[in-house]
Amino acid sequence: MRVLIQLRPSPDLVAAVADPSVPSMASDVADGLPGVVLDHSYAPVAVPRPMPASPGGDPLSLNQPLVFSMSPQDASVVVRGEIADDEVASRVALLPVSRRDVVAVYADPAIETSLTCGGDPAVGDWHDVERLLRVPDLAAEGLDGSGVSLAVVDTGINAAYVKAARGQDVTVDHERSWSPEGVSGTPGDFAVDHGTMCAFDALIAAPKASLVDVPVLLSRRQGGSTLDGLLSDAIAAYAHLREVLDAQPAESRALVVTNSWGSFSPRWDFPPGHPGNYSDSAAHPFNLIVGSLAEAGADILFAAGNCGTQCRDSRCAFPDRPIVGANSHPSALSIGGVDTAGTRVGYSSQGPGRLTKRKPDVCAYTHFAGSGALGDDEPDSGTSAACPVAAGLVAAVRSLWPSTVLSPAQLRTLLRRTADDRSAVGYDHDYGYGVVDAAGIIAALRRRAAKAA
Amino acid sequence: MAEVLITVRLAAPATLEAAMRRLGLTEDDVDTGYGLVPVDPGRDLYVLRVTEEAGRRVGDSGTGVADGGAADGGPYSDPPIEPYGPPR
Repeated sequence: MRVLIQLRPSPDLVAAVADPSVPSMASDVADGLPGVVLDHSYAPVAVPRPMPASPGGDPLSLNQPLVFSMSPQDASVVVRGEIADDEVASRVALLPVSRRDVVAVYADPAIETSLTCGGDPAVGDWHDVERLLRVPDLAAEGLDGSGVSLAVVDTGINAAYVKAARGQDVTVDHERSWSPEGVSGTPGDFAVDHGTMCAFDALIAAPKASLVDVPVLLSRRQGGSTLDGLLSDAIAAYAHLREVLDAQPAESRALVVTNSWGSFSPRWDFPPGHPGNYSDSAAHPFNLIVGSLAEAGADILFAAGNCGTQCRDSRCAFPDRPIVGANSHPSALSIGGVDTAGTRVGYSSQGPGRLTKRKPDVCAYTHFAGSGALGDDEPDSGTSAACPVAAGLVAAVRSLWPSTVLSPAQLRTLLRRTADDRSAVGYDHDYGYGVVDAAGIIAALRRRAAKAA
Repeated sequence: MAEVLITVRLAAPATLEAAMRRLGLTEDDVDTGYGLVPVDPGRDLYVLRVTEEAGRRVGDSGTGVADGGAADGGPYSDPPIEPYGPPR
């Protein structure tokens, strides 16, 4: 979290900061603040002291006529820095205690008015995403998704549509695809909708991956709405994916599972603290099976959700911490969204997560002109698009790095470590560890290969 | 919450009939179309979808006692899930 720190150093120092002819630096007044990464590009600023205009006025009230004193004895100095998101409360409490010159610590919120929101036009197109993901470089390394099963757990895939939109052949693995009880249809031949968008976006970085079609969101039970399923359908789907994974030869084990869905509301859940709760409990059967599948060798990615504070989806009903359940699972990657300019989209959910605090893990690209599956002029949007974009990158890596060589946990760490950090202190709850960086991944894999040789 | 989930540990070969027998459930209690789904094969852990009433009856939680029912876990929620896009 970016913060402004108000200090009252010696009058000489305040006078120097206030004097425009004297260059001063943040380290001159605020060096060594524990837990604070100072922004050295931000020159310290002298701030006047408000004082009652009339003798006898209340020295603490701002609701009266005031005069402002820049006298070195009265004025203070403000510097800018950053505190790790998970240390904010303790650092803010301790700073004035550990340093007597610290007067106060204030938030320094971003004053952006142009974050991309739902309904905004596309920012760039899928070829920009290809370029940003360095798809030609990945292909040159042999990282194109060949031999990798990429399961799209969603509303079903229309392969003919994806093929036409991409202008390239698409492989759907009919044998390994699976539908919940009551869902009829042929894998790869479902109506064009959300799942088709996800398939298109996953193939950007992994054009040769083999798609496994898992339309759990088409399940119609309890008279559900147009596109929703039940979490129990996802449990059954994951049990099937476990069989798929176990049947793969160890030397080429590669199953990537992309999940652009979640639970918007606590209404249908037991409350947090109840043993049967899903949103906050690692013991829920779906959270257990996610951990079990990841441990067996699958890479599991979940969208972080569209409940970002700047323009949250109207369906978001959790009062806070909207990255819930498996979308915040420690053995899955939680994917936030950035536009092709690298700026977080305003609807991308922010952490901390409920099962694991450090969620989202990383961000990937969304809100670009892509499949057109949601409508002619509709961008591929939501963290729904960001998640398969990242899953495609993971599938590309798996082309040459099966999970028996590079475990899912190691791959998650690789993505986090190589991400393009968007803050000064590493992890933050907006971008996670940063934006996925294919160049960094390629370099890291080369180093790993050289070490193994 | 029309239906809930419960978990049960069963040694192989695990079947829905064996799970129902063990838990004292009838076909009216259980979504037999859903069946018996393995959650963690290494731990012999399976899940069933049952009516809310059956979940309360055989689940081991939510009863206020340490070992309330025959199931090894539950009742657990079975919330609806929806696509995360496009943002509305």
